[in-house]
Amino acid sequence: MGQGLLRRLAHFGVFAAPGMLVYLCFVLAPIAVSFGYSLTNYNPFNPPSRFVGLRNYQSLLTDEEFLTALKVTVILTAIIVIVPNVVGLAIAVLLDRNGWFYNAWRATFFVPVVLSSVVVSVVWTRMLADDGIVNLVLGTHIGWLSDPDLALYSLGGIMSWQMLGFCVVVYLAGLQAVPHELQEAAAIDGAGPVARFRKVTWPMLAPALTINTVVMLITAFKAYDHIQVITNGGPGAGSTATIAFVVLQTGFVANRQGYASAMAIVMLVIIAAASAVALRLLRRREVDL
Amino acid sequence: MSHHRRAVLALVAIAVTTTACTVGETAQSAPTGSGSGSAPAQQQEISFLTFETPNLTPEYWDSAIKRVTDKYPDIKVKKLVAPTVDRTGYAKQLLTSGQFPDVMLAVSPADIGAAQNLYAWKPEELGDFLVPDGGAIDGKVYQLPANTQTIPNVYYRKSMFEKAGVTAPPKTYAELLEAGAKLKAKGMTPFVVGGGKEAFPSVLPLTATVATEVYRKRPDWMTARRAGSVQFADPDFVQALTLVGDLAGKGYIDKGMLSLDYAATEQAFLKGKGAMYPMGSWFAASGDKSDIKDDLGVFAWPTADGAPLLPGYTGGGLEVSANSKHLDAAKKFALAFQLDKSNLDNSVKSDALFPAIKGYTPPADTGPVFKATYDLWSQNVQANAVVKAFSWETGGDSLISGMTPKVYAAVQDVILGRKKPAEAAAYLDTEWDKAS
Repeated sequence: MGQGLLRRLAHFGVFAAPGMLVYLCFVLAPIAVSFGYSLTNYNPFNPPSRFVGLRNYQSLLTDEEFLTALKVTVILTAIIVIVPNVVGLAIAVLLDRNGWFYNAWRATFFVPVVLSSVVVSVVWTRMLADDGIVNLVLGTHIGWLSDPDLALYSLGGIMSWQMLGFCVVVYLAGLQAVPHELQEAAAIDGAGPVARFRKVTWPMLAPALTINTVVMLITAFKAYDHIQVITNGGPGAGSTATIAFVVLQTGFVANRQGYASAMAIVMLVIIAAASAVALRLLRRREVDL
Repeated sequence: MSHHRRAVLALVAIAVTTTACTVGETAQSAPTGSGSGSAPAQQQEISFLTFETPNLTPEYWDSAIKRVTDKYPDIKVKKLVAPTVDRTGYAKQLLTSGQFPDVMLAVSPADIGAAQNLYAWKPEELGDFLVPDGGAIDGKVYQLPANTQTIPNVYYRKSMFEKAGVTAPPKTYAELLEAGAKLKAKGMTPFVVGGGKEAFPSVLPLTATVATEVYRKRPDWMTARRAGSVQFADPDFVQALTLVGDLAGKGYIDKGMLSLDYAATEQAFLKGKGAMYPMGSWFAASGDKSDIKDDLGVFAWPTADGAPLLPGYTGGGLEVSANSKHLDAAKKFALAFQLDKSNLDNSVKSDALFPAIKGYTPPADTGPVFKATYDLWSQNVQANAVVKAFSWETGGDSLISGMTPKVYAAVQDVILGRKKPAEAAAYLDTEWDKAS
């Protein structure tokens, strides 16, 4: 091994060490500690805790509350990945123009993203109440948040509304980076607007799609604050309780922190796997360009 | 992909992520002055966990704290505010993160690991309290048994009753159903029952029916449940759930209101969205502040045979961390806060508490709703007809840790028709087994 290589490794180490240290302390170590807890029946208010091996993980397989939360999370994730992506792309295409009018609309769509999710939740709770403005305008008496068959979709709608601006901005950035020469060449070749979008614009938006999909996926899987404020996991047992919500309820309300840690580890594995699969599929599409 | 495009996308992602990480934070603590003037020497700072409701405003807490710190200038108080009314959940978070407050209010001792974390008051320190063993766990009192609350009372709109032809408050359960039918026939919703993020407004009808169907027969039912000698699936408890389900099935409870949080539920009743409002005695404070205070009446949830019965609980006071660095200051503050005459008067006027302090009588200038609620309680005390309030117990007679949200969920499922009463009861037994 040459001295040059050693020097390069030393350089690398110096620059990488702070980041690695932070990552180790604040990401890897907590995960390791959580995994350790997940192998115990740790309850901070009922010591001492015992090592229970994989029993917590076994229990999860038949825990109706956890399985319901998994189903709720999957539905919510599907809504939040699809709706802001589709609607966000449509809006981005409409706003892909220059001028103050379009700039104002871009800012408008982005406002909900920077609002606190608690504020958004409180506002929407009032709007979707039985006698709220939504029912008033529609002339209906729909239990948007009180009907357990609807509440999850209402939550999905609220979260999609808040994240829409993020997707719009990312797609706009992608659209503005599409070379005009390509569009012009396609037009000269006789391609109409739809064909140009399908054959030129859409493939060039692959990186934006990757970012939006992965960010929405992770946002949806971690959904907690909207649920806490709007429905508290209800109405009834678990109709809107995501895994993140159940983890916190189990850990901090029921004090079963060993069991909650097992849920959190399973959630981590699911998010990591889903993100990896999504990234792999979407990146492959980018490479194929 | 060009460098330019990558850079733009990366910057957008970083900017948005950074913003998202910072916007959701809310400050939960606000230092409270410890009186005017310069800080005395050897001042000891203690933290005090409070919670806010429509009745218990920031100004209420600040002035109550100031009265005590004016009296004891050697104590400085840092006020903490629980982000929701679930102060027990917040106290647990603080405890597990090493920030357990020195003094806290109405945190469920049974849920917080009282024996390890809370100071057990000595009998001689409780000499001023009417029920010195209120909320005891294994014979030890961790929470000052400072006040009594009756939960629920049934508040009603006199004008709506009159409009529906209900001439007097129901005295039997059959009369309650009859009143519901008359109100519904006139297009009025008989009961306002909310839920929302706090969920507890949903449980009040069940607290009432558990009192009439379960606790009336067996006052120590919860202790028996803890011992495993009774089950939620036993017929009496299932009957309590059935009565609530029947009210919803008859359309006397508007299922749409379950999305209303506590504040919105209260407003719904005050705005006439329903004629009856099962709620704790603390509602009397809001009732008296409202424009319709003279239109409000109160009665106890009736028993089948009309015998008097009222659920209530004595406890609800301050607790002190056993591991406080300033234990003596924390104890001194807690007792002074709890026994201060002005604080007691304000707790009556602001939160309609019934202070359980020897020699204390509520101020004469309380409103009509408080007086009616207090009289109802006094009558039931004289009739020896007060039982505990299911799901509101906080001592060794309370639900085990983690069960309260399950009870809220179960009663909501029954109201919504998602679960039959027997299924909801079985669910509670299953959850109890998981939690124990």
